[in-house]
Amino acid sequence: MIKIENLTKRYGQHIAVDNLNFTVNEGEVVGFLGPNGAGKSTTMNIITGYISATEGTVTVDGYDILDNPEEVKKRIGYMPELPPLYVDMTVKEYLDFVFEIKKANTKNKKQEMERIMELVKITDVQNRLIKNLSKGYKQRVGLAQALVGNPPVLILDEPTVGLDPKQIIEIRNLIKDLGRKHTVILSSHILPEVSAVCERVIIINKGRIVASDTPENLSKRLGESSKLSIRIAANEKQAVKVLRDVPGIKYVEAQGVKEPDTVDVWVEAEKDIDVRRPIFNALSRAGYPILQMKSMDLTLEEIFLQVTTQENGEVS
Amino acid sequence: MLAIYKRELRAYFTSSTGFIFMGFFLLLSGFFFALTNIFGASSNYNSVLGSITFIFLIVVPILTMRLMPDDKRLRTDQLLYTSPLSISGIVLGKYLAAVTVFLLTLLVTCLYPIIMSFFGDIAVWEIVGGYIGFLLLGSSFISIGLFVSSLTENQVIAAVITFSALLFVWLLDWVTQGLPTDRVSGIVFAVILALAAGAFVYYNTRNIYVGVATTLVGVAIIVAAYFLADRFFFDGFIVRVFEWFSLLKRYDDFQMGILSLSSIVYYITFSSAFIFLTVRAIEKKRWS
Repeated sequence: MIKIENLTKRYGQHIAVDNLNFTVNEGEVVGFLGPNGAGKSTTMNIITGYISATEGTVTVDGYDILDNPEEVKKRIGYMPELPPLYVDMTVKEYLDFVFEIKKANTKNKKQEMERIMELVKITDVQNRLIKNLSKGYKQRVGLAQALVGNPPVLILDEPTVGLDPKQIIEIRNLIKDLGRKHTVILSSHILPEVSAVCERVIIINKGRIVASDTPENLSKRLGESSKLSIRIAANEKQAVKVLRDVPGIKYVEAQGVKEPDTVDVWVEAEKDIDVRRPIFNALSRAGYPILQMKSMDLTLEEIFLQVTTQENGEVS
Repeated sequence: MLAIYKRELRAYFTSSTGFIFMGFFLLLSGFFFALTNIFGASSNYNSVLGSITFIFLIVVPILTMRLMPDDKRLRTDQLLYTSPLSISGIVLGKYLAAVTVFLLTLLVTCLYPIIMSFFGDIAVWEIVGGYIGFLLLGSSFISIGLFVSSLTENQVIAAVITFSALLFVWLLDWVTQGLPTDRVSGIVFAVILALAAGAFVYYNTRNIYVGVATTLVGVAIIVAAYFLADRFFFDGFIVRVFEWFSLLKRYDDFQMGILSLSSIVYYITFSSAFIFLTVRAIEKKRWS
C-alpha cells in the first residue's frame, strides 16, 4: 500500500530524515515511535505531500507522490500534529469545506458527515465555532477532517497529544476500529500507546530506523531488564543492607524518603531471574513490610539506548 | 478553487478586515466625491476616480496581508496542500476573493454617479469605462499584495512590504519625468536591459554560454534597430519603456473613457504574472 524508498530530507546541513526504507501493507496499523525531533512528522509530511523529499520516493497504491500527487492525496487522510482548523468556522461549516476541497461531494454527503461526527463524537458541538471548543474537541475535529472522503490510508501525527486520559482511551479505541478498514500510520512518543494500538512498530531516531517489529517482540526484547521500585517501611540503611544480601540482585539504589517512615529503593536483578519472591521473603523475615513494589517502565530513552546498543544501530 | 474562494470571501466578513477595507475606501471616496462633485458642482465623476487611486496604497495592504500568512498561522496550509487541490487553484481562489471584496466596494460607490444623475446628465459610458479601468488597476495592485503575502509568514510585515512596493510603483511615474531623453542614454539603457536579460537567463539555467548569447542577441537587436530601422528610435527610449510598464499611466486612458484593448491585456497579464510568481514562491518553500 505504502512504499518508502531511500527517503532523505535535508534542511541545509541538518539531516531530518536519513535514508528511510519501509513498506506498509494494506490494512496494517503501523506505529511510528521516536523522541521529539526524530523525524516522525517530517516523514509524515513527505508521505502526505505537504513538503518534498530531498531524495527518495514515496508510492501509495502504486502512485508516486511526485508524478501523481492528486491521486496520492485523494487516498490519504492526514491529521497533523496541530489540527489544521479554521477557527472562525463552525464544526459543520468546516467539515463542509473539507468535503469540498477533498472532492468528496457525493450525494450522500449529509449522511456521511453525520456518520463521521458520530464516530468521533462531535455531533453535539457541530454548530459551535471551532475557536470556542476545548483542546480535546479540536483534536477530534482534526480527526474527523482526516476521515472525510473515507480515504484508504490514514496518517495520524500524535493523535492523543493534549487529551485527558478518558479521551485518550476513546481515541485509541477509535483508531483500533478504524484499523479494521483502513491502513493506518500513527506516530507517538509514548510506547504503551503504540503497543496498545499497532500491529507493528517502527522506531526511528535521528531520522533513521533503529528497530521495526511487533510490539510483543519488541517488549520481549526490551523486557530483559528487571528493574523494580520498592517502598519499604524501614530506614534507608536497614533496607539496603537486607536487599544487598538477596541473591540475584545486581545493584540497589536508595531513592530517599517519599512517605514518612519509609524509604524508596530501586533494585536491578540479574538477567532472567525473578527476584520478587526472595525480596519479599528477606524483607518479611527482617520485619520490614513492603508497602509497594512495581516493575519500572522503561523510558523511551532507555529503549533507544537498548535498541541501539543491542542492534548496533542495524535495522532488524 | 470554488471552495477556497467561498471560504476566503467569508473570512473577510467574519473578521474585521473586509469591513475595515470597505469602510476606509468608502470614507475616502465619499470625501472626494463630496468635495469635487457636490461642493465643486462638477459633473466630471471620472476625475474623482482618478484622484482616489492613491487609496490603493493604504487599503490594498489591508486586503491582502492575511491571504497567505493566515493559513500558515492556523496551520491550515497543511490541510490545503495535502488535499487534492492544485496550488494554482488555491492561489487563484484567494486572489479572486480579494478582488470580489474590492468589486463589492466599487459597487457601493456606484451610488455616487446615480445620485448625480438626479441633478443632471452624466456621461454614463465614460464612467463605465472609468470603472473598468479602476477595477483592473486595483486588481493589479491586489496581485502585488498577494505575491508579497506569500513571501512572509507575518501579516504586519506583509502589509508594510506591500505598502512599500505599491509606493514604489507610485513613485516610478514621478521618477520617469526626470529621466534623460537623449539618444545615447537611451542606447545605454537598452544595453543594460540586454545585460540584465542575459544575467537572468544565466541565473536560471546556470549556463554561461546561453547567458552571454542572450546578451549578444539583445545587443544585435539594438544595433540593428539603430542602423537599419529608425535612428530616432532611442530618443526618449527610457521614458517610453517606463511609461509602457506604468500601471498608473495606462489608467489615464480609462479615465478619459477610452477602452484600450492593449491596456486591458496589460493589466490582466500583470495580475497573471504575479499570481504565477505567488504559485512559484509557495512551491519553492515546499521544495526547500
